Amino acid sequence: MQASRARLFKEYKEVQREKAADPDIQLVCDDSNIFKWTALIKGPSETPYEGGVFQLAFSVPEQYPLQPPQVRFLTKIFHPNVHFKTGEICLDILKNAWSPAWTLQSVCRAIIALMAHPEPDSPLNCDSGNLLRSGDVRGYQSMARMYTRLAAMPKKG
Amino acid sequence: MESEDDIIDDLVSMEDDFYSGDFSDYYDDPNDEDNDYYSDGDDDYGLLEDDEDDQEAVVSRRDQLGYTVLKEADIKQRQEDDISKVSTVLSISRVDATLLLRYYNWSVSKVHDEWFADEEGVRQTVGLLETPVVQVSNARELTCGICFESLPRDNITSAACGHPFCRTCWQGYICTTINDGPGCLSLRCPVPSCNAAVGQDMIDKLATIEEKKKYSRYLLRSYIEDNRKTKWCPAPGCEFAVDFAVGGGNFDVSCICSRNFCWNCTEEAHRPVDCNTVAKWILKNSAESENMNWILANSKPCPKCKRPIEKNQGCMHMTCTPPCKFEFCWLCLGTWSEHGERTGGFYACNRYEAAKQEGVYDEAERRREMAKNSLEKYTHYYERWASNQLSRQKALADLNQMQTVQLEKLSDLQCTPESQLKFITEAWLQIVECRRVLKWTYAYGYYLPEHEHAKRQFFEYLQGEAESGLERLHQCAEKELNKFILCDGPSKEFDEFRAKLAGLTSVTKNYFENLVRALENGLADVDSQAVAACSKTTSSKNLGGTSKGRGGRGKGSSKTGGSSRNVDDTSN
Repeated sequence: MQASRARLFKEYKEVQREKAADPDIQLVCDDSNIFKWTALIKGPSETPYEGGVFQLAFSVPEQYPLQPPQVRFLTKIFHPNVHFKTGEICLDILKNAWSPAWTLQSVCRAIIALMAHPEPDSPLNCDSGNLLRSGDVRGYQSMARMYTRLAAMPKKG
Repeated sequence: MESEDDIIDDLVSMEDDFYSGDFSDYYDDPNDEDNDYYSDGDDDYGLLEDDEDDQEAVVSRRDQLGYTVLKEADIKQRQEDDISKVSTVLSISRVDATLLLRYYNWSVSKVHDEWFADEEGVRQTVGLLETPVVQVSNARELTCGICFESLPRDNITSAACGHPFCRTCWQGYICTTINDGPGCLSLRCPVPSCNAAVGQDMIDKLATIEEKKKYSRYLLRSYIEDNRKTKWCPAPGCEFAVDFAVGGGNFDVSCICSRNFCWNCTEEAHRPVDCNTVAKWILKNSAESENMNWILANSKPCPKCKRPIEKNQGCMHMTCTPPCKFEFCWLCLGTWSEHGERTGGFYACNRYEAAKQEGVYDEAERRREMAKNSLEKYTHYYERWASNQLSRQKALADLNQMQTVQLEKLSDLQCTPESQLKFITEAWLQIVECRRVLKWTYAYGYYLPEHEHAKRQFFEYLQGEAESGLERLHQCAEKELNKFILCDGPSKEFDEFRAKLAGLTSVTKNYFENLVRALENGLADVDSQAVAACSKTTSSKNLGGTSKGRGGRGKGSSKTGGSSRNVDDTSN
């Protein structure tokens, strides 16, 4: 408990200090609970998620960093490795490939990388995965772009 | 007495009729080889002096083709020897040798081959670094890569790569992985991009006593479980393993804990039935239990290692836990590498659909009818299977009683040295073994296809003969022996009894060996003859103007057994 709190506090200070270091990621700690974080990540360019801002919710276990944080999308996203309803993410480093040397910041970076490079062979959203597997890149992109517009962009007017 | 002789003659004539002596090469010389398998035990088979463990082993000794039972000390010794071998030949530390061996499933020759073919590549994949990848600075304080605290150098430790972490974080990291299971044996540096292996030296330095114990337990287990030639004895609480020389057609082994099991499927020894049938049968037997229902409803066995897996989250792409790590599709249980376009997507797995469609072709009515019949059929076979099981357990208990109490008593009563009463123990061992075989013939019978009438009839005939032959032996060893135990002094008839029991033992033994062989052949020997007999009856019927083929099943039955006519007659 103490170790995880200390480590999260270090990460918190690092985030405060390096706020401008990575303009694509904005990590915010909950006001009252250091084990709850949210992040806003920008959709990577040259992907159907470009222009969108996606919100992630982190729930950090007490054994952190020996155990991985639980992360899910709060913003709806059409992506093969993200559950369309729950926002659950299928990413190895959040499960069996976790290493205590990862940080919340680097997890965000890994998620951005996943957005740019979907892994359709392990689909959590099969419609999306099947579009990609069948070679219908246009179909996948237009679906993903539509949901980015609907859910991840500020409404105009 | 007469009827017994008849039976003996029958059994012998059976042999001559159908098996014309082709077993001899198979069973001839069990004793020559036996001493090798149990070389650490007594050299001679002094049955009566030995403890009961060895005697159980004798039950199936004739079935052995080549295996060694390993005790924990033997396993450790072998493991140490292998590590020493690799460490010496490759001039690397024992820790590195252990990592290498584990990676290549404890195959010394594989390690040698790979290493000498491409040392650099092997070092890279296994994570044996020669030089640190990080230059250790001379600063007095270093930052731990996990807790991010700056700490004095004394508190910082690294694997061969040099990535610095503090002792506390290392301890946490090692503790977590060790408690996660055997995966800790392939522990790497915590830096995700670094694959430097963390070996036993680090564990010894950093883990608690409890964790070290677990780690060496996993290491020992790995030596047995990852090695293709060895398996643990499946008996609960048994800590022995069996090293099996693959190649023979027969998988029955018997551990010195007295458990007889099939090396291939680790169920109890089940000759003459094959492993698939046994698995089906066992699943069927337990299908009604609540447990099984839950497991069936909520889990699937890993297609490779068969451990039940409960899926509680995530996608259909499953990866079994280490050491198996098999990747498969949750829907069809096929290997994942074959998935993609070919199976037409993921939730719509083609093979799953195909399986469902096959089911659709069944007419509902026929199925209902069959369900009823099959339940009756199943009950029939199950009852007999279970009663032989019980009978075997009773026989085992009796055998034990015989060895511990009765034989001594009998020896005094009949004024015969115990060494000359071996034939009684042998008879009981034979009974135990026969009960086991007989039990499994009922599983065999259950799965024998309905439409193969000739085979079925012949099988039932053989089984019936086996059953009555065994009853005869069992009766003799149980009831008739009792007379001599209860009487007051030496009896003249004891020698007669000896001859009779020894005769019955040997005849029953032969019969069962032949039975096992015949069933393992899928009744192939029998098939041609029985079918010939069958076609004879049908052709004669055809002459008489009745319908063709195997139609007259009910009537034909006594005649289809024509090939064994002589025996039919005598047993009536």
